[in-house]
Amino acid sequence: MLDNALWISVALFTVSIMLNLYRVAVGPALPDRILALDTMYVNSIALIVLFGIWLNTKTYFEAALLIAMLGFISTVAVCKYLLRGDIIE
Amino acid sequence: MEALYAMTTGILAASGLFLALRGRTFPVVVGLTLLSYAVNLFLFSMGGLQAGAAAVIDDSGNYTDPLPQALVLTAIVIGFAMTAFSVILAMRARADLGSDHVNGNRVDESREERS
Amino acid sequence: MSLLLIVLLPLLGSLVPLMGSNERRNACATMTAVAPTIALGIALAYMGQVLDGDIPRAAVSWIPALGLELAMRLDGLSLLFVLLILGIGLLIILYTRFYLADGDDMPRFYAFLMLFMTSMLGIVMADNLLLLWVFWELTSLSSFLLIGYWYRQSEARKGARMALTVTGAGGLALLAGLLLIGQIVGSYDMQVVLDSRELIQQDPRYLPALLLVLLGAFTKSAQVPFQFWLPHAMAAPTPVSAFLHSATMVKAGVFLLARMHPALAGSEAWLYLVGLTGLVTLLYGAYFALLKHDLKGILAFSTVSHLGIITLLFGLDSRLAVVAGLFHIVNHACFKAALFMTAGIVDHECGTRDIRKLKGLWRFMPLTTTMAVLAGAAMAGVPLFNGFLSKEMMLAESLQTPLLGGLSWLIPALATVGSLLSVAYSLRLVRNVFFDGPARDLPRTPHEPPRLMLAPVMLLTVICVVVGLLPALTMTALLEAAASAALAGDSPELHLAIWHGVNPALLMSLTALLGGLLLYLQRRHVFAFQRQFRPRDARLLFEMGIQLGVRIAQRAIDSLENGSLQRYMLWLVIAVLCVAGSALTQTSGLQGPLENQPLDGLLIAGAIIAMFAGLATAIMHRRRLISLLMLSIVGLMTSLAFARFSAPDLALTQLAVEVVNMILLMLALFFLPQKTPQESGAPRILRDVLLAAGFGGIVASLNYAVLTRPLESISDFYLENSVPGGGGHNVVNVILVDFRGFDTLGEITVLCIAAIGIYKLLNRLRLFMPSSDADGRPWALDHHPAILGTVAQTILPLALLVSFFIFLRGHNAPGGGFIAGLITAAALLLLYIARGVDWTQQRAPIQFQPIAVAGVGVATLTGVGSFVFGQPFLTSAYGHFHIPLIGDIELATAILFDLGVYLTVVGSTLMMLANLGKMTTRHRPSKNKEQA
Repeated sequence: MLDNALWISVALFTVSIMLNLYRVAVGPALPDRILALDTMYVNSIALIVLFGIWLNTKTYFEAALLIAMLGFISTVAVCKYLLRGDIIE
Repeated sequence: MEALYAMTTGILAASGLFLALRGRTFPVVVGLTLLSYAVNLFLFSMGGLQAGAAAVIDDSGNYTDPLPQALVLTAIVIGFAMTAFSVILAMRARADLGSDHVNGNRVDESREERS
Repeated sequence: MSLLLIVLLPLLGSLVPLMGSNERRNACATMTAVAPTIALGIALAYMGQVLDGDIPRAAVSWIPALGLELAMRLDGLSLLFVLLILGIGLLIILYTRFYLADGDDMPRFYAFLMLFMTSMLGIVMADNLLLLWVFWELTSLSSFLLIGYWYRQSEARKGARMALTVTGAGGLALLAGLLLIGQIVGSYDMQVVLDSRELIQQDPRYLPALLLVLLGAFTKSAQVPFQFWLPHAMAAPTPVSAFLHSATMVKAGVFLLARMHPALAGSEAWLYLVGLTGLVTLLYGAYFALLKHDLKGILAFSTVSHLGIITLLFGLDSRLAVVAGLFHIVNHACFKAALFMTAGIVDHECGTRDIRKLKGLWRFMPLTTTMAVLAGAAMAGVPLFNGFLSKEMMLAESLQTPLLGGLSWLIPALATVGSLLSVAYSLRLVRNVFFDGPARDLPRTPHEPPRLMLAPVMLLTVICVVVGLLPALTMTALLEAAASAALAGDSPELHLAIWHGVNPALLMSLTALLGGLLLYLQRRHVFAFQRQFRPRDARLLFEMGIQLGVRIAQRAIDSLENGSLQRYMLWLVIAVLCVAGSALTQTSGLQGPLENQPLDGLLIAGAIIAMFAGLATAIMHRRRLISLLMLSIVGLMTSLAFARFSAPDLALTQLAVEVVNMILLMLALFFLPQKTPQESGAPRILRDVLLAAGFGGIVASLNYAVLTRPLESISDFYLENSVPGGGGHNVVNVILVDFRGFDTLGEITVLCIAAIGIYKLLNRLRLFMPSSDADGRPWALDHHPAILGTVAQTILPLALLVSFFIFLRGHNAPGGGFIAGLITAAALLLLYIARGVDWTQQRAPIQFQPIAVAGVGVATLTGVGSFVFGQPFLTSAYGHFHIPLIGDIELATAILFDLGVYLTVVGSTLMMLANLGKMTTRHRPSKNKEQA
């Protein structure tokens, strides 16, 4: 049961990551791309967690934690760039 | 799987090199970063590709090779330092030479970019 | 041990004069003389032992892996030279005291002189071939310094450079020769080499080794065709010339011939090469000595000629000839040093060395004149002087040689001609300068030099006369000891005496004397004859050669190094393609024995995304921001790949670096142009695409080839010893902070240095700052959006907690100093982004440079700490501790090291990025004013 759920969710998240990629590549506007990139980070968090569940290990959960935290910082930096150009002023 | 992995490193390396051959500093820096991703992946794979065998001693007894990982870990950090250094160098070159061309040609830039 | 002192004392002595000052010259000279005097005392103390046939040796191991030992010996040959070098060296020190003008830097001169003396002593006493070569090169270097002592004169610089080039090149040849000999014999030990004559001479490598060694000896001893540097070394101060020509430098070459005589001599090649070179040099030097007008020039060519005599003697196949050669070395050293010093005095007193302007000096300086006459007579080989004895031995031996078969009579005949010329130029030197009517038009009115300046000359002249009168009493013992070393066996019986009865040698001597007198009187014919030739200045030829070399090198450089970094990159890549590609074609097929592992959808998707994003980064590189977003996707995929393939530490590091890198590139994007202009034409793009494709293909093939072959790793050791040895379960971290901690220490040092370099580069940097984004929209006016600020402040403590957690558990689970440091840095950078530099600095006035340096310091101290417990650098210890409420934890000293890593990473990262941010803050207000 869990296995099936696992596989279905992995498949779905994989598809959504591919769709994110499409949006980053196509745009059209810069905010679209940035948003898509951020969503990509979120989806990869899910993938890592699912991977950990599949392997039955906690080893990889910190990676998910870090993506959550640092992916945000990345996005903030890009947004700040769009707004002001100079990100540390 | 190995073939796919090798193809990925190859394509990343090729893209990185293509960028590194460009004439402006920014693409070169991006290219070097890309190249360092490829190199890190390449070096990392020297220990073999295994899933769920992290080199953390536990009861499983199934570990991947930790040595390439340790080397790549420092390589990532040093790679960042190198990128940072070349970025600042590029800025300095632009400030002093008025151009962001890697050859340091004193070409006139479009005016609106000067402030 | 005290043997080593003979060499080491003058070496230490070279520091002594540097402590003296130019004003207190007497003190400076006296202090300098102390070390060589003691060394001379030690050598004399060994004298009795050496004359009895003992060979004192002393050795200290230096680089045993190379067969290099600091080994010294004092056999008869060494002793002879040591006495010459130290004795004449001391006289030179005394003479220099009065010779140097007030403006000359005396401490520097003495320091160079002592260094030179050391290197000469090293050559003659070395008991190891390689050591001998080390000192040999040291003489080339120190003589360069001495010849170029008056470095403001272009002549001196050129002369010094020429001497260094010629003797240095010869030195390299010598090294090759000595290495060959060492390979033949299997040892660099002098005694072993000298005892292996048969072995060496039967080896096919004997001839090249001999040629190379002779090349070294001939360049040093100024034998034709390498004689040209010596006359140009005359630009040196006269004491240097006196030392260089008498006891040192040029004598090093003939010393080498004597030293290697037991091992290399006796073969036909040796006889022809050495004998004929000597003969030609003898005639060449003597002829040109007659033609020169410069006092020192005459002496220089006469040195060339006399070195020819010595070389000829070593090349004659007779044991007595070798003894004669050694004898002539001593005699020549004495009279040539005396004559050079006299020439120096004349130059000093009259202000010119041109023999055409000097005349009748005996009225002004009778004592000096006497000395010059006596030393000149010795040089000419007049009976009752030492020069006569060795020259007569030379003539006698040359009669015996069968070297040229039926034409062997040529050798004594030519030797007589050489002696005849030598008589003529000696006569011209002495008579024209000191007699020949009253002096006229001298730049200065000369008078006798200070008594102490003349003392060395007197002493040397007295030696010349005493040896000439009582040769058997004074020289026999020393010469026999030296000859037994140079001949590896008992010395032939010596009968040094003035009168051997009427024999062919005496007749040849008399012919030379009379003929020389006649030639001197008729010398204008010789000058007239020489005038028919176009004068060829060796220096011009040499300079032309050098210039040609420089031009060729310059052209090669110009064609390769045209300032285009793109071009260099291209060549580099092509080189890599060729080397790696050709190596890959040698492998036995791409696919190794291992089968591919099965694929799954997730992997395929990940690979597709990574490849796509990588390609997109390259293709869209002209739209820089989009290219950057794509790069960020590649980074994300890389870290996911690390996670997927069992490298959680790498995944964490990659993620953290990814963020910091992104911030860095955002800053770069702002300060660099935001678009890349279209520059490359289609052919260039095509070329680069092809190159990149080739490169990618090679990387991929290599990677695949490795991945499909079985893995042999040394990692089992780390896996087994991580817990018992390093006290940590996370092997990657234990490797970083414990097993290979020294590497890590180096790497954080590099990180710190890079950060400091960046900090320095930012100094006085004037940045270009765009006023609108790439599409021309002006920037928003809200500097620090409130929502962002609030969120950032909320996240900061959380992020710090996470980084603390990751840091602490790093030893046992994925994490560690690198990752924790990057997380902290990223969190702080978020605050900088959200609130700005001023706000942050107000609340947390932290300087990051000290933090980074402190990090390296902590890591180093942790390593040094293990010395306290008598353990090697970076030995770690660990133990279990019980902390209330938290429970049992395992702590290792490695965590301290990791703390150093953490601090360095935080400090360096922020030093790079925050400082860059500060730059803009500093400039921005003024810019806003301008806009307003």
